[in-house]
Amino acid sequence: MYIRDSKCISPQPTYTNGIESEGIVEHSGTKYFAIEPKYNELIPAGQLRRIGKAVRMGIGAGLPLLKNNPKVDGMIIGSANGGLEDCISFLNQIIDYEEGTLTPTNFVQSTPNAVTGYLAITTKNHCYSNTHVQRGLAFENALLDASLLMEQDQAKSVLVGNIEEISSFNYNIDEKAGFFKAEETNSAQLIGSNTPGTVCGESATMFIVQAAKENALAEIIDTDQLHHPEKGDISQKLEQFLRRNSLLHSDIDTLLLGYNGDCRTDHYYDHFKELFDDVSVYSYKNLCGEYPTASAFALWMATEAISGKQIPAQALMQKGSREIKTALIYNHYIGLEHGFILVRKI
Amino acid sequence: MKRVVVTGIGAISSIGLDVQGNLNSLRNGIGGIGQSKFFVSKYAQTHALGEVKASDDELRLMLEVKDEKGLTRSDLLAFKAFREAITDAGLDEDALSSFDTALISASTVGGMCLTDQLYQDANTASKASEFIRSYSASAHTSYLAKRYGIKGIVDTLNTACSSSANAIMIGSRLIKSGRAKRVIVGGVDSLAKYTVNGFNSLGILSPAATKPFDLNRIGLSLGEGAAYLVLEALDEVDGKQVYAEIKGYGNASDAYHTSSISDDADGVVYAIRQALNSSGLSPNDIHYINAHGTGTGNNDKAEVVGFSTIFGSKIPPFNSTKSYTGHTLGASGGLEAIYSIFSIKYGELYPSLNFETPIEEPYGLAPIRCYQNDVEIRNVLSNSYGFSGSCTSLVISKV
Repeated sequence: MYIRDSKCISPQPTYTNGIESEGIVEHSGTKYFAIEPKYNELIPAGQLRRIGKAVRMGIGAGLPLLKNNPKVDGMIIGSANGGLEDCISFLNQIIDYEEGTLTPTNFVQSTPNAVTGYLAITTKNHCYSNTHVQRGLAFENALLDASLLMEQDQAKSVLVGNIEEISSFNYNIDEKAGFFKAEETNSAQLIGSNTPGTVCGESATMFIVQAAKENALAEIIDTDQLHHPEKGDISQKLEQFLRRNSLLHSDIDTLLLGYNGDCRTDHYYDHFKELFDDVSVYSYKNLCGEYPTASAFALWMATEAISGKQIPAQALMQKGSREIKTALIYNHYIGLEHGFILVRKI
Repeated sequence: MKRVVVTGIGAISSIGLDVQGNLNSLRNGIGGIGQSKFFVSKYAQTHALGEVKASDDELRLMLEVKDEKGLTRSDLLAFKAFREAITDAGLDEDALSSFDTALISASTVGGMCLTDQLYQDANTASKASEFIRSYSASAHTSYLAKRYGIKGIVDTLNTACSSSANAIMIGSRLIKSGRAKRVIVGGVDSLAKYTVNGFNSLGILSPAATKPFDLNRIGLSLGEGAAYLVLEALDEVDGKQVYAEIKGYGNASDAYHTSSISDDADGVVYAIRQALNSSGLSPNDIHYINAHGTGTGNNDKAEVVGFSTIFGSKIPPFNSTKSYTGHTLGASGGLEAIYSIFSIKYGELYPSLNFETPIEEPYGLAPIRCYQNDVEIRNVLSNSYGFSGSCTSLVISKV
């Protein structure tokens, strides 16, 4: 499966161009909000007022891609939380008005398939659609869905991506669960901060993937995953994953690792890195923050690097001797859900 | 490509706490929609609902999880049906934890059934409750994966009311691709203030038990439940019992409106057509349709328009088993696949309940009205449609 095109709304100025070292936005505190584009050319003002941020960002990233690639055979989204701000608005109405007369707008939009629904309605496309919500594996599962469609000749091209927003719902709940740093923090010092907790980010990152190699930016070779790993499981799964794709450890020249500065769970990445010799290692959560589908941002960054664009110095953790050709993204969410994505230069 | 068969089933709904209970109710035409006993909401008094006839404590007792913290009703319902399905298929610990065993579940409200608790946790500075990690649609899947040591692909889908039909489709495709040898697929939802108020705000929550395909239908009845099916590659089953084959599937967008289906039922038609194509069958081969049949004005009319477009004047017998269970949202595709399997396995057709008058011309069609047995049912079409125009149809066949 090949990446033809991409669009990314993130806490970095990724929407119009790639990101370069000098353009990197430094974030402080525990919320890395996305830098949103002006939507007025994409979404009518009346509608824009009624839709929540996650849906808005999903449309903002997805619709321009569909304008350039109108004939997709599928739209697949990965999102742990969907439009949670709408969800909490409706929930609050239920409690605050003691189940009185409520307006349905928030209810209808709180279903995470609102994004594919909106995109299908706007582009009048009756294609396949699906929405994966398995928290830290939602984006990997969306990619898997797209690749199954292509392997089984059900699609030639597919829109696939993630949406995730910082909502009062997930932030408050995750904060109570001890997810976020208690001390002053900023993105320059996030990784290696050696304290518990991380920061919260958000993004909508969309890709047009296709079965054909022509005009592609990069190849997505494969994806795999692991739930609640026990000792040895990760290296065993990696072994199987590489073998299945006829690759050796030494074929991997670049790693993108989901370091988020949480001293309780970053050790997974330290151990993972040790399994490879002479690799370049990049981080990405100091740019986009932590959220369950952050691997979509990592894939966007890997695609940029593979297609010859600059990767900001802030992301480089270790420099290997080889140019980027075969990159492996390894991302986990709170140590429970672990995903791999393999990407290759064409 | 590999053929995908069903080797185990598990179900819990308002018409039965297990597969046998569900089957008995269908055979006897006994619906489960009525006065709820455990669900707390203003609407529990005014609206008939399809509540599972067991309290959380009773479910905990059945599952031997009396003291386990953080489990919601959705989790308990999922555990119950999941355990029945894997036991039925004879999956042991090694099979469950093998890298090529996957779990694809589905839910819409998930742990949001605890609406008031969630309100506290999300809005106030109070201390975190025991449910802090249990609210999401995927929480039950994570609990299942942990509890049973699933190490293959783990996924949850939320495409509203077509969620678990899509789980069955994804599971089948995983087996066909060779990425998994066995997949446990299904879904769960429990009654929630969230959905009761949501459907009520849309004006489609029926006070009395829903009347699918009736001229005087006034909306859906919400229900709850869970259903899981064990899917395996036919060439791996090795003498095991086989209930049916997942023969084909279609998934299409209606691309019309966020909460209603188009007049021409485009998504319905495309999904059925794809399901038929992928199963290599023609409309004549379908012997029974388990309709989506929510009992709303919009759905039932659109669905019948879709039937007419595909089947012309020869529309196979159809019913809505939601007239028994109520609309169980993320569980409905799974439950209805199991009911379709009953029709195949036992050669039976179950009457649609609460039906009196056919809907408006020119589509004045009546669903199945009486119990029938000794019917040869080789291929069943099962439909599921969700918000945002998510339409999915499955073809389930005799092996």
